[in-house]
Amino acid sequence: MLALFTGLAGCGDGRTSVTVYSPHGRDLLELLEKAYEAKRPDIDVRWLDMGSQEVYDRVRFEAANPQADVWFGGPDTIFSRGAADGLLQPFRPSWADAVPADSQQADDLYFGVYLACPILVYNSAAVSAEEAPRDWDDLLDPRWRDEVIIRDPLASGTMRTVFGMILARSVAETGSEERGWQWLRRLDAQTKEYTLNPALLFEKLTRQEGLVSIWELTDILLLQRRGSPLEYRFATSGTPIIDDSIGLVANAPHADEARAFIEWVGGEEALSLVAREVFRLPARRDLPAESLPPWAQKVLAEMTPAQVDWDLIEENGARWMETWDQTVRAKGSESQDL
Amino acid sequence: MSPGSRRRSGSGWGWWLLAAFLAWLVGYPLLITGGEALGGSAGWSLDYFGTFFSRSHEWLALWRSFWISALSVFFSALVGVPLGFLFERTDFPGRRILGALVALPVALPPLVGVIAFLFLYGESGFVPRAIQLALGLDQAPWRLQGPAAILLVHTYSMYVYFYLFTRAALARLDGSLLEAAANLGAGRWRTLVRVTLPMLRPALAGAALLTFMTSLASFSAPYLFGGSFRVMTTQIVASRLNGDVTMAQVETVMLAALAFVALGAMRLLDPGTELAGTVRGVAPSRRRLISPLARWATAGAGYVLAVVLLLPHATLLLISFVPAGTWTVEFLPPILGLENYGALVSRPDRLRPLVNSAWMAAAATAGALLLGFAAARGAVARRGKVGRLLESLVVLPWAIPGTVFAVALATTFSVDAPHLGRFLLVGTPWLLPLAYLLRDLPLTGRSALSGLRQLDPALEEASAVLGAGRWRTLRRVVLPMVRPALVAGAGLAFITALGDFVVSIVLYTLDTRPISIEILSSLRLQDTGLAAAYGVLLMLVSGAAFVLWGRDGGAA
Repeated sequence: MLALFTGLAGCGDGRTSVTVYSPHGRDLLELLEKAYEAKRPDIDVRWLDMGSQEVYDRVRFEAANPQADVWFGGPDTIFSRGAADGLLQPFRPSWADAVPADSQQADDLYFGVYLACPILVYNSAAVSAEEAPRDWDDLLDPRWRDEVIIRDPLASGTMRTVFGMILARSVAETGSEERGWQWLRRLDAQTKEYTLNPALLFEKLTRQEGLVSIWELTDILLLQRRGSPLEYRFATSGTPIIDDSIGLVANAPHADEARAFIEWVGGEEALSLVAREVFRLPARRDLPAESLPPWAQKVLAEMTPAQVDWDLIEENGARWMETWDQTVRAKGSESQDL
Repeated sequence: MSPGSRRRSGSGWGWWLLAAFLAWLVGYPLLITGGEALGGSAGWSLDYFGTFFSRSHEWLALWRSFWISALSVFFSALVGVPLGFLFERTDFPGRRILGALVALPVALPPLVGVIAFLFLYGESGFVPRAIQLALGLDQAPWRLQGPAAILLVHTYSMYVYFYLFTRAALARLDGSLLEAAANLGAGRWRTLVRVTLPMLRPALAGAALLTFMTSLASFSAPYLFGGSFRVMTTQIVASRLNGDVTMAQVETVMLAALAFVALGAMRLLDPGTELAGTVRGVAPSRRRLISPLARWATAGAGYVLAVVLLLPHATLLLISFVPAGTWTVEFLPPILGLENYGALVSRPDRLRPLVNSAWMAAAATAGALLLGFAAARGAVARRGKVGRLLESLVVLPWAIPGTVFAVALATTFSVDAPHLGRFLLVGTPWLLPLAYLLRDLPLTGRSALSGLRQLDPALEEASAVLGAGRWRTLRRVVLPMVRPALVAGAGLAFITALGDFVVSIVLYTLDTRPISIEILSSLRLQDTGLAAAYGVLLMLVSGAAFVLWGRDGGAA
């Protein structure tokens, strides 16, 4: 047992470690770990996988004695909170100029690396492509009553963005939030369940406890590769594209190594590797289309980006979700109290 | 004054030192956290408490936490106490093995244990599907949701406290009392109500307190089944997810306040509340069921019960053999294989959490055993203030929900100020095992205490008179006598630390990542099978520890 322990403890091998906190999941992180270590034999990439909110919590919690070097992944909304709390330090990688201006942060604290695309999801074993919802509004069709299962939006950047888009659209088109709230109340009435995590969402959709949902493209493509019957469609009225960022942790124990890692992650080689292997769409706009795998080219051709007032969402996001949580969620169901 | 007591009183300052040390470990972090909450050194103030009180949904979550916990106590007692009586007081074929099986829910791993419930009783789970098929229904007969589901899981996993405490207390019950009652003409019912139950009261109160606090801190069941039905633990997470960290802290303090009110009420109602009944004395003889029919009926019912109780474990085992993504709408999984276990052993970094959990649980148990035994020695040797202080300090960690305790430790040890008794432990591998140790302290401390209390002081004196030194007496007389109690306490302590989720999620680091966190991460990555495989390993180790120690140290 002792031998096993010391053997596993590793790190006595003279390599410098770079510690990455990330919600990107094992597939992507293992891929990058191997590729980077092959390139830099002197570096040991260590990663800890957790939810994007958890990354923020953990970095904040360890601020007195930082353990992480790189904060890798999560929407702007969470990164901006980390920036406000002084949890990040500025670092401008050389690829930063190729990232669109609205994916950059003014103080160089974090930059968009990948794009996340919210999409409509359906179980193709039970719903044909013709019947499947084509736009966000189609989810409100009586046909899907009690067939909608969605991820608990409080814990999900993707769902927060979609709900934010609905409300921001309402403000932009009618001058008030009211129409958006009505929409969300109608969606709530259609919704059978809010699941705790994506795993349960997929489980329940696959087992046909519900048939349609809203989720993010990368996960569905990964599931399809594993033979899942879940199918997706871009909403015709537009997809609110989310930036997925990377940043250098304040007082990182291995800041120099972390800078080199961030530089590499946003470089062409790593971006095309993850696009090919784990379906991540690069945020950089300067990559030639033919360097991207076919699925990515198809996505870029099919998808209509939605015009979204991101500042409005950023400003009101927390209040909106709190209001939703208290006045909209599960109001259709009966009271459960004593 | 006897020679023995003079010797003990001579080293009185040592006990005070020990009490001070324990107070620093157990009480100080709570004071620091409470101080920060009220003093506003973290940038917030009483305003937030005002906000808390002005919001009806915060109140509602607090109220729900209370009544869910109260009902959990009620249902757990309803299941656990009769089972304790059945297995301790009657004899029937298979009693020993069944008695151990019935305690197994205590070894249901965190998170995946609840997931197993979902696979078993959830809308597309085995039981509803079987009913649906049998009765030809279009829809599942029920959905596992809301407070009823939470209570079901709580009752299942917490009745064990009542069961174990009842058994231990019954085993310690002096048989002659019952005989006396019978001789005086009391019927069985009257004996039960007037003699047995009052004698069980401290143990039952202890089990009730433990169940109440565990369910107050319970997270996975309300999170998974609650939905919009928020209790305080899930409300804290919702606040954090919404970026309102300060409100989350206020909610944590309110949860702690609820726990303290409950503890206070309990102490008021029953000053003799006992937190771990573990030692067995000379038990009254078991009633052997005479009629063969009654014997076999009892045994049969016992086996049926055991099967029902083991269904979640069996489900977990089954899921662990299902390769990812192969099980969809079929009643039974179409493919079974060893892929998940293969994935687990093929990469050293996936075995790492097992090693982490094992060494941390072992270290925590050893430390808790040492501290708990020392404190119990003090509490028994010195009946005055210091004794009572030692006894309360040892029990304190159990009167606080795990989350609160973890946050308190993290707050206290995130500052490097040795002159204030605060050290920088956040981010180091030491904080988590320390937290385990402190959470384990009530288990080892109370079992050492009850062991030592039953020890005849004359034995130690005899040993001293015969010329044995203090160490020799401790080693050759005291330790062998209290060994069963210590071993039983250590067994439960080890299992508790091994499977802990609530404390770990706050305090883990990359180097101390325990099994429960790996389970969480596997679930997040849609790897239910791998999570289940971890769960099964955890279950096996806990089960083995339980059986091993259980055989040595009695039922508890």
